[in-house]
Amino acid sequence: MNMIKLLNVGKVYHSRPALKCVDLGIEDGTMLTLFGPNGAGKTTLLKILAGIMSPSEGRVIYSPELSRHGDVRGSISYLGHKNSLYNELTVLENINFVFRLFGRKNGKEAIEKTLREFGLWERRRDPVRELSQGMKRRLAIAKGFITDSRIFVFDEPFTGLDLRWRDTILSGIRALKAKRKTTITCTHLLEEGYELGNIFAFFHRGSLLFLKRRDEIGLNEIKERFRLLEEPGR
Amino acid sequence: MKFINETVTIVRKDILLELRGKEVLSLMTFLSLLLLVIFNFALDLDKVTVSDFAPGILWVVFAFSGIIGMGRTSMVERDEDAYLSIIFSPASAESFFTAKVISNLLFLLTMEVVTVLLFAVLFDFEKLVVFFPRLLPSLLLGSLGFSIIGTLFSFLSTTSRYGEFLLPFLFLPVVAPILLGGVTSMDKILSESSEGFSKWMNILIVFDVMYMVLSLILFIHLL
Amino acid sequence: MNRRKAATVLYYILFVMIPLDFFLIFMVAPTERIMGDVQRIFYLHIALAINSYLGFAGVFIGGILFLRRKNLFWDTVAYTSAEIGVLFSTLVIITGSFWARPVWNVWWTWDPRLVTMLILWFIYVGYFLLRKGIDDVVRRARYSAVLGIIGFLDVPVVRLATKWWRSIHPRLSKEGGGLDPMMVKVMLFTIVTFVLFTVSLFIFRFRIARAEERVAVIIKNMEE
Repeated sequence: MNMIKLLNVGKVYHSRPALKCVDLGIEDGTMLTLFGPNGAGKTTLLKILAGIMSPSEGRVIYSPELSRHGDVRGSISYLGHKNSLYNELTVLENINFVFRLFGRKNGKEAIEKTLREFGLWERRRDPVRELSQGMKRRLAIAKGFITDSRIFVFDEPFTGLDLRWRDTILSGIRALKAKRKTTITCTHLLEEGYELGNIFAFFHRGSLLFLKRRDEIGLNEIKERFRLLEEPGR
Repeated sequence: MKFINETVTIVRKDILLELRGKEVLSLMTFLSLLLLVIFNFALDLDKVTVSDFAPGILWVVFAFSGIIGMGRTSMVERDEDAYLSIIFSPASAESFFTAKVISNLLFLLTMEVVTVLLFAVLFDFEKLVVFFPRLLPSLLLGSLGFSIIGTLFSFLSTTSRYGEFLLPFLFLPVVAPILLGGVTSMDKILSESSEGFSKWMNILIVFDVMYMVLSLILFIHLL
Repeated sequence: MNRRKAATVLYYILFVMIPLDFFLIFMVAPTERIMGDVQRIFYLHIALAINSYLGFAGVFIGGILFLRRKNLFWDTVAYTSAEIGVLFSTLVIITGSFWARPVWNVWWTWDPRLVTMLILWFIYVGYFLLRKGIDDVVRRARYSAVLGIIGFLDVPVVRLATKWWRSIHPRLSKEGGGLDPMMVKVMLFTIVTFVLFTVSLFIFRFRIARAEERVAVIIKNMEE
């Protein structure tokens, strides 16, 4: 059953067609990874999926389950290029704020556990502006995990993070699968992206080139596709 | 109730942010002080004329300081796309808007109280302080109107290329009735004439109610 | 009769009505006793004012319909109306000045109607400034719809407030005494002519706007 469905979605952005005729259905429990070179339209697509950008053509249809909270976005957790954090508030205050917005109480243990997992517990009383880029990214992701939404959208989650944290994020996102969540990730790191998906969508210049399941395409083939695109005279 | 919980959470966050950063209130208050000084250079008020000009000067200062302040609070949300943490939560657009109106109103009222005191000191106009309790209702209603339009329009303008600079231009024409109502009612209170006073208060109330309802409906389209 | 034909008929009708109207204004309408010939500008002034309000109503309706139906067609309706509206309100203010100077010896007066028109003008200009600053077509349409709706509903409030304010500071009133029946007839004819003119201007401009949008899309596709 489709959680999100894109019907003939197009987007013109800054006088450029960023997306063209995208038809895509994302089923419940899917882990979708978007691949594609820079400028392929992946970020635009994620914004449209998450509901913070409207398509110029076509429609986005959400399953009625997602509107339980009212607005569809209440059931989605979105991690964009920016971290969506209040720089003047502390780590703890940022997370508590989100926690309270979700109407949850008594989150002390859950919050502590998550912050420790992401190596942020020691810095919990520091304002976000004093953290490093990597820490801010980790906090943004931690904030998302704590919301327990239905759908998770990650736009380049590994930015600014070194290998040690990539594994933490990877296992975090994989744990979402165990909880039967739907995840949509886009990353330029091919191995990690392949790990995180059971369905892969390849984009180029705004068009969806192919959509394949894990058993239909291997990591090497994806790497090969990339290399072909990067060849001069393409 | 869910709405109240969400609204209170966001208002608390805004107040906490301001207590930490101390950006908005200090900016607004210094701007008020500067404007008062400039007004004195421009108008050269003496003991006789000050009571005539006081309401006008005060409301102009409220409007300009206020809109600069409200532009700033909106920029704080846009910075690093922080407002997305509210959008991607069960919090409704209505509670988001109401919370922002309340926090902006609190900042405005604080700035206005300080401005009134500064005015009384700079221009030796004690009457303002003595009559202050009577001025409160119209101050409250007018500032609420400022806050409603200012909050709505600051979301409009901060996404555009011009950012905060567009905001006063959009804001000031629309709140003209508030300026008229605020100045006239303050004038009547200070001159202790009650003729026609209630109809001015009524126009402020109508403005506030109409725009609050309208904005609550329209705000979702800005998110 | 299809739409194109109807529009052509309209243009033909106007081709006759507009010169006829000017003839009526300058030749047939009686000269006003006190103000003299300069009063004739009044016919245009009032007709322009009514049509600038119509333009604003177009922004309002276009805005509401866009927000409900999400079809960019209504956004085009809205900004086309706004263009016409800002043009006409500019002319209202200018013709008002030309009339006021010889009659009252002032270039401007804080008459509530004029003040309302001025506020309207500011809101229109703000509308275009806002649009200019947003590149995303859908977002631009949504945001300007919100501004258009708020601005339109502000007009009666501004009118009322300035009217009350003016009663504290009494100024010269606009009309002195009643109007000659012939003047009323010319006035009505002028208003009708201008409404038709506004409609045809709207249709004309709207078609150009749609063509512009289509060309822009074609160019973008070619660049790819």
